[in-house]
Amino acid sequence: MAEDENGTQGLNPVSCPTGFSWANLKAELRAIWESNVKVWKIELAYPVSFVRQSVQPLVMLLPFLLYGLVLIGGRYSEALQGFLGTVNPVDVVTYIFTGYMVMGFIGTAIWAMGFSIRREQWFGTLESIYVTPTSRLSLVLGMALHSTMHQTISVGIEFSVIYAVFGLALNIQGILPALTIFALMMFALYGFGILISALALFLKEGWIVAEGLYSILMILSPVAYPLAVLPTVVRQVSGVFPTSPALMGMRSFLMEGYPPQAVGTIFLHLLALDAAWILFGILVFYFVDIYIRNRGSLGKY
Amino acid sequence: MNLSLSKDLTANSLIVWSELVKNMKFLTAYPVVFIFWTIFPIFWFIPFLLQGQAFVGGLQSPEFAKLAGTPNYVAFVILGGILNSYVLTSLYGVGESMRREAYQGTLDYLLSSPCNKAFILIGKALSESISSTFYALTQLVVCVLFFGIEITLGVVMPVLLVIILLILGLYGIALMLAAISLQSKQAHDLAHTLENVFYVLSPVRYPVQSLPSWAQMISSLLPLTYALIAVRSLMLLRYDITAVYYEILLLFIIDMLLIFFGFYLFNWMERRTKKSGSISHY
Repeated sequence: MAEDENGTQGLNPVSCPTGFSWANLKAELRAIWESNVKVWKIELAYPVSFVRQSVQPLVMLLPFLLYGLVLIGGRYSEALQGFLGTVNPVDVVTYIFTGYMVMGFIGTAIWAMGFSIRREQWFGTLESIYVTPTSRLSLVLGMALHSTMHQTISVGIEFSVIYAVFGLALNIQGILPALTIFALMMFALYGFGILISALALFLKEGWIVAEGLYSILMILSPVAYPLAVLPTVVRQVSGVFPTSPALMGMRSFLMEGYPPQAVGTIFLHLLALDAAWILFGILVFYFVDIYIRNRGSLGKY
Repeated sequence: MNLSLSKDLTANSLIVWSELVKNMKFLTAYPVVFIFWTIFPIFWFIPFLLQGQAFVGGLQSPEFAKLAGTPNYVAFVILGGILNSYVLTSLYGVGESMRREAYQGTLDYLLSSPCNKAFILIGKALSESISSTFYALTQLVVCVLFFGIEITLGVVMPVLLVIILLILGLYGIALMLAAISLQSKQAHDLAHTLENVFYVLSPVRYPVQSLPSWAQMISSLLPLTYALIAVRSLMLLRYDITAVYYEILLLFIIDMLLIFFGFYLFNWMERRTKKSGSISHY
């Protein structure tokens, strides 16, 4: 085909918005949405797998609940009351449920976001995505959006079953502030997820890193026990991750009788973690991206 | 006749040995994976130990003893975690092994070779048993050193017997899984579902008596249930092996049934897949 004077071989030239412009932001938001839609289409093409994944968080929560109930022979723990400093014994079902509900979203950050790019490599579409003018982060964020929606469905199932079988003592009026804390936690987790996706790009078989980090975070977060049972050094390390302040803040709004936390301090703590994790995640992603492309190891397994 | 039998035996042993060597080479080629499976199962039960401490305020729970027979929930959870790791390695190691051969592009060659495929699977199961036992032993040593688990020499042989029986039963299930993966290609969801069934319905973290009666009925069909009851009775409650003969007998019967159906299903699926020409389909 003969080239015209613009070198477009007769095709209509396409201009891509770049830089910090409204048009570029809109284009990236569209890319995030389309990436999310794509993952939903793939997931819904395997309905059995979708159902299993949606029920999985409930299945993983049950052992914590049953074990807790057998340990104390009921649902109120005086020992936990002592650790938390509440007026009345603590309802362990509500305590564990609120903790494990948040833990599911850590899985979102680590597994879904962390493996978004690696998954494209398995599908054989990574190189094609890399040559598009869209930011690679949009792909990761699209996966984050999908995974957050998916996890919300799982939490809905968890809530319905646990509420129906065991009953939950939750403060309805505390949901709104708890959701605000939750949103702040999610931003920091997204930063964490971006970091993991960079590591997966670099290490290829990043599942060990992801599984390892998830296991460590599970120990460091007050999911099924208060931080008071951890050694002092470990307790201090847990403050680096958003789950600890977020869980304490959310429980103070959601659980009746839970000691009130310094809400301002929790908000500030989470805002600082948001900024730190997002910046750190993007920075590491940026450098790994350059390094991988320079080495030419993008398509390597 | 005798010469042919002896030749067959040598050839089949060679298949098992070659498969064993191949899998061991894979294992040692990825030292990080090896270290992961040795260390991280311990991390998975630590939250339960901390939860126990927070809920009970100590290392003994009288309420727990009412159902479990022992107030020592730490040892209960640790033994549960270690034996449960055999479930993970058998389901994902052996159960998905045929699928892995498909990914590696070697499944067609394996299935078209003139040997009995059962011996290939025995080789895979054997290598998986060796690595799983190594992981379990390492975890046990760590737990003896850091969590105060006590082992007496007298229980080593009976516990070993129970573990061998557990492995046999689990590999019967893994054979069925491998057979299904030949036909349906994706057995990953089934493996996950089975893992969840074992995890929730067997007494891995809590005694079976805490489950509703319908769940206890399903639990009574799982080999892990009897293995856990027997091992805990021997190690924690210090019972004699004669006290757990019933559990061992039931475990043995379940093993026989699972292995028989496992091999039958695998051979049937292999013939079916060959006829349909869908071996190399993804």
